[in-house]
Amino acid sequence: MKEFRTLKLLDRFRTPLEKMGIQYPQLRLILQIKLTMDGRRPPTIAAHKKDSDNLFISSLWLYGLVGLVLIPFVLMEGNDLFKMSIVFSVIFFMVSTSLISDFSAVLLDIRDKSLLLSRPVHARTMNMAKVIHILVYMTLVTAALTLPSLLASLFKQGPAFFLIYLVEIIWLDFLVITLTALLYFLILRFFNGETLKDMINYVQIGLTVVITVGYQLVFRLFSFSSLSLSFEPAWWQYLLPPVWFAGPYEMLLNRQVTGHYLAFTLLALIVPIVSLVIYIRLMPLFEHHLQKLAEQGEAGKRRLVTLQNIIGRWICGNKDEAVFFHFASVMMSREREFKLKVYPSLGLSLIIPFIFILTSLSTGNSLAEISSGRSYLFIYFCGAMIPTVVMMLKYSGNYKGSWIFQAIPLKDMNDIYKGTLKAFLSRLFIPLYLFEAVVFVSVFGTRIIPDLIAVLLSLFLYTYISYKLLGRNMPFAEPFQKVQGGGTTAKLFGMMVVLGLFAGIHVIASRMDYGTYLFIVILFALNYLVWRRGFAGRVEQTLNSGL
Amino acid sequence: MNQAEPVISITDLRMRYGDRFVLNGIDLQVHPGQIIGYIGPNGAGKSTTVKIMLGLVEGYSGDVHIFGQNIAEAGPEYKRRIGYVPEVAELYDTLTALEYLSFVGQLYGMNAGDAEFRSLHLAEILGIKDAFNSRISSFSKGMRQKVMLISSLLHNPDILFLDEPLSGLDANSVMVVKEILELLSSQGKTIFYSSHIMDVVEKISSRIILLHDGRIAADGSFDELKEKSLESSLENIFTQLTGFDQHRELAERFVAVVNEVGE
Repeated sequence: MKEFRTLKLLDRFRTPLEKMGIQYPQLRLILQIKLTMDGRRPPTIAAHKKDSDNLFISSLWLYGLVGLVLIPFVLMEGNDLFKMSIVFSVIFFMVSTSLISDFSAVLLDIRDKSLLLSRPVHARTMNMAKVIHILVYMTLVTAALTLPSLLASLFKQGPAFFLIYLVEIIWLDFLVITLTALLYFLILRFFNGETLKDMINYVQIGLTVVITVGYQLVFRLFSFSSLSLSFEPAWWQYLLPPVWFAGPYEMLLNRQVTGHYLAFTLLALIVPIVSLVIYIRLMPLFEHHLQKLAEQGEAGKRRLVTLQNIIGRWICGNKDEAVFFHFASVMMSREREFKLKVYPSLGLSLIIPFIFILTSLSTGNSLAEISSGRSYLFIYFCGAMIPTVVMMLKYSGNYKGSWIFQAIPLKDMNDIYKGTLKAFLSRLFIPLYLFEAVVFVSVFGTRIIPDLIAVLLSLFLYTYISYKLLGRNMPFAEPFQKVQGGGTTAKLFGMMVVLGLFAGIHVIASRMDYGTYLFIVILFALNYLVWRRGFAGRVEQTLNSGL
Repeated sequence: MNQAEPVISITDLRMRYGDRFVLNGIDLQVHPGQIIGYIGPNGAGKSTTVKIMLGLVEGYSGDVHIFGQNIAEAGPEYKRRIGYVPEVAELYDTLTALEYLSFVGQLYGMNAGDAEFRSLHLAEILGIKDAFNSRISSFSKGMRQKVMLISSLLHNPDILFLDEPLSGLDANSVMVVKEILELLSSQGKTIFYSSHIMDVVEKISSRIILLHDGRIAADGSFDELKEKSLESSLENIFTQLTGFDQHRELAERFVAVVNEVGE
């Protein structure tokens, strides 16, 4: 097995560790195994990377890239409290989300107990291995994230600034670790393990969205950050830990020893220590509650008639189709791996239309100009994710369950596809579109409602076309590891052209008298045709049998 | 080890989770060379007893002595002479079989080379040598079970705790493992064997302990239990002692519901 440099470094602490009653050879061995396994687990920040030697290490450069964002703030002259609050907010956010999304597995691993403690390993050794493991991880992530700005601060702001920055980063890390652990503790105390897993899932989705959207937004935001902001201490800032950490700068560098800055500095110093002490006190109780993760979740409340059921009966042609509509709806809303892979692109498509409008705002158009113009057609970008999601519908974390499709005597395989696509539209797409539409109407006025209907019908048709061209596969039947990179990019690009065509026709139609209404009628007819008849015909068996 | 000296000695073991009592006073002496069939309905406290002996569960009352040491006071060193196959085959499955077994061997204090050599040898005998450098996540249920069995025996333990050790194995492998257990016990090793498959327990155990509601409901060789209960098979003894006599009735009701479709 691989030797890790981290472990060689750890060897120097052998004597003090052994004095604490830790079995050093076992500790080293456990860490070696844990680090090996980390390398094989794809981190959320770089989820689409292929197998490489060490997935975790190769994702660190991404943190470094995010870290570049911090440099301008560190270099900036002006209000230290303001700029350092932003810097620490970014660090706080990045470190805590990556800890939650990638290292929850370590904090919450219940295999450890039965695998390690049934062997001659002391509980103390196991817990120490856990702590060191998390520290190693946090050190690497934090270092990658802050190294660019640390260096920049050393050259521009001098050693005093650098030193405060460095010490505070370490302190912030302690705060993040203990707060995360305490948060888990509270959730496990009052809820069951499933709730916690769902929460972690949403944090993972959030991290992915922020990373992708961040690229789009950050550079647009710089125009705001160059504004000279007066940032005076206020009571609400006591609620924001990153602001505490900015306090010492005002106090130590700018010699502003006022009540507020002193309070911030003390909070930044003391809260991490206090939460660490609480955490250590609660550790045994935490381990006890961890057992909840292994327990069966309590039976959920089952509503016999749900809205989704009524919709299903209403829009599905026959019983088989309704069954798959219902099944796919449940899968889409429950399966964590599916959500992790698909929800970020939904989030992105929610935001892209606004980004375009923001861009045209910043290029000098006034809001009044925009709202009387035709930019509402940017809402077509909402559909940009449709081909991706239609393609992803064939993947699932529980792909092995798909044998059931073959085992049942189904009259028409097309019912599976039809039900699944309709579930996607009604469960994921329409709610998102409605939200988008409401915002657009509030910006552009009620005059665009016919256009929005036309867009919705276009996107329904677009979904069908995506399915015809990309998605003729059994839903939820393949593992996510099979998601291929290459050829699909070209196909997805082609689908973007199709989307552009829809928008183009829409523009032409809207220039004619009653053109939009005619467009709606034609789209309605086409939709009726394809969703009624478009699925008939021979179906090739696409289910892979080598499960 | 002296034949008269018990390797495991449990006195008045009680355990409760919340307000539910799982163990209500277990007394047990186990001597070297015994294969103990440890049986009972789900929730009777079988795996809790085993987990207590392994030091995985705390908060019990009563005394547990293993190799003459009170495990509440002894450090984890006594586990060096114990092998364990848990019911759920939980492994670090992103590791390869070689990496996992080498890791476990080293936890038991073997050196890496020794552990690898021995596990490779054992894997070859059990027929999983070809998959030895593949990740365990790609293994079938039977292959995983073989890895678990090897990991429990790699360090030549004196006591074995096995919980459904045959699950997922094919008939030929089952025969091999049964023979292995026979041979080990004839060398004086103690085997604690939990299972729900009564036929196997009946055949391989030299002593059967039946747990019911956290108490020992029966303790003795199969012949002794047969005499006492006037039943011919362990399955019947089991249902008799756990007071379960509705199997026919439940089956009839089940089939009646099945038949409702198509009437």
